[in-house]
Formats: sequence, structure tokens, C-alpha cells
Amino acid sequence: MSDTTELVITRIFDAPRELVYRAFVDPDQLAEWFGPVGYSVPRDTVDVDARVGGHQRFTMVSDEDPTQTSPVNATFVEVVENELLVGEEDTSAIPEFAGVTMRMRIEFHDEPGGRTRLVLTQGPYPPEIAEMAREGWTSSFTKLDKLIG
Amino acid sequence: MTTDRLSTIFAALADPTRRAILARLAEGDATVSELAEPFSISLPAISRHLKVLEHAGLITRSRSAQWRSSSLQAEPLREATAWMERYRRFWDENFARLDAHLHRIQQRSEDQQS
Repeated sequence: MSDTTELVITRIFDAPRELVYRAFVDPDQLAEWFGPVGYSVPRDTVDVDARVGGHQRFTMVSDEDPTQTSPVNATFVEVVENELLVGEEDTSAIPEFAGVTMRMRIEFHDEPGGRTRLVLTQGPYPPEIAEMAREGWTSSFTKLDKLIG
Repeated sequence: MTTDRLSTIFAALADPTRRAILARLAEGDATVSELAEPFSISLPAISRHLKVLEHAGLITRSRSAQWRSSSLQAEPLREATAWMERYRRFWDENFARLDAHLHRIQQRSEDQQS
């Protein structure tokens, strides 16, 4: 088993590479699709400058409770148009990772049939967290949490 | 909490004897002898385990030399391990929306062409 401390997610999209890439760097599009269930991104919070040293900023707002917001503020460290986006995010808004710089890498690969394989890599996580997440320690942890707490 | 802090906590929890000690302390304070009882290892060895747990902030010692568990670290710890799973779910949902979005915009341009 590899010693990876990164989260890797791969997904195939039914669209050409350029289209998928643009969805990440076009502010209008980001505002249209980004966000987990129950959250939206107001267009006026989106600011994207897709160059090395540029940034990607926006705010996710809860549909149910608009006072609940979650800002994203990433700086691009690598940009290859239609191929690669690598950003670093300051995680000071997330207490559990205060001060740690998280790096996120998004690769866009061609897939047959005019499709695109997107590979998202995020990390590094402390090795113990990666190991525990892999082995499904979260549920064990909840039990331990009850024991400790 | 820094990654160093988290690493210290995880290293402390990585040992089954230490986890058992924590479980015992969850039931109430205990002395070193009481904690050592279920194990076939020496008192000094138990003391070493206790030092590791104390250094990680998971237990504290009272003035009467009783050890007690400290719940201060439990929540951020649980949160940290849940972080990767939450993040994976977050991106799964994001990608589902991106998928629908890409279908929509391609459909839009097809409609415009026909």
C-alpha cells in the first residue's frame, strides 16, 4: 500500500477538456455550478485570475441560511491552459488545520469519445489522518470520542 | 491546531495499550497501579505510556497522583479525521453539479446551432 497522504478523486465528464477547464476559470460558470448541495456561489463574490500568482476567490453561501458562508481563497502556483490547475489555499478559516497550506491539483486529461478525465489531488494531510481515513477510522474514532469525552 | 500537534496526538493513539488506558480513564480517574493492572507490562512501561498521553494533551495528572482523561482534544481530533471524508463528499457533490452544468451548456449550444 502506498504511503500517500493525499486525497485523490478521479471523475470522467462528458465534455471536451477545454470546456471542463473553462468551467473552473470562468467566473460566470463557477457561480453557476460550484458548491455542494444546499450552497450557492453569488456571482459578485467570484474573482478569478487564472495565472501563476493569480487567485481564485469566491464565497459559498448556504441556501437555507445566507448568514452561513464559506469563503474560498486560493492562489495559483501552476497553470497550463486546458491541462492543469494547481492552487494553494490558506486554511486559516478551518480550525483543525490552522496555518497549514493545502495544495490542490486539478488535471484535465483526454478520454475517448470527446470526454475528459479530471484528476483532483488534495493534500498533504498528516500521514496519520490519511491512514485513518483510509482504514475507516472515523467510525472507530467516534466510539473513541465517546470513550474519551 | 497545527499538523505537529495532530501528529503528536495520532502517535499517542496509535498504540493499543494507550488506547486501552484512555478507555479506562473514561470510566474515572485512576492511579498508575490501577491503570497497570490489566496489563502484563511493567509499571515503568505504563508510566512511559502515560507520559506520551500527557504530552499529547489527552490526559492530565491531579495533585493526588491520579490520572484523568482530558476531553479537550477529542473534538478537533475527530474533526480532523472526518475532514478527508467530508472533503471527498464535498467534491463528489461539486462534480455532480459540474456534470449537470456541462450537459446544460453543451445542450444550449446544440440548440442554438439547430
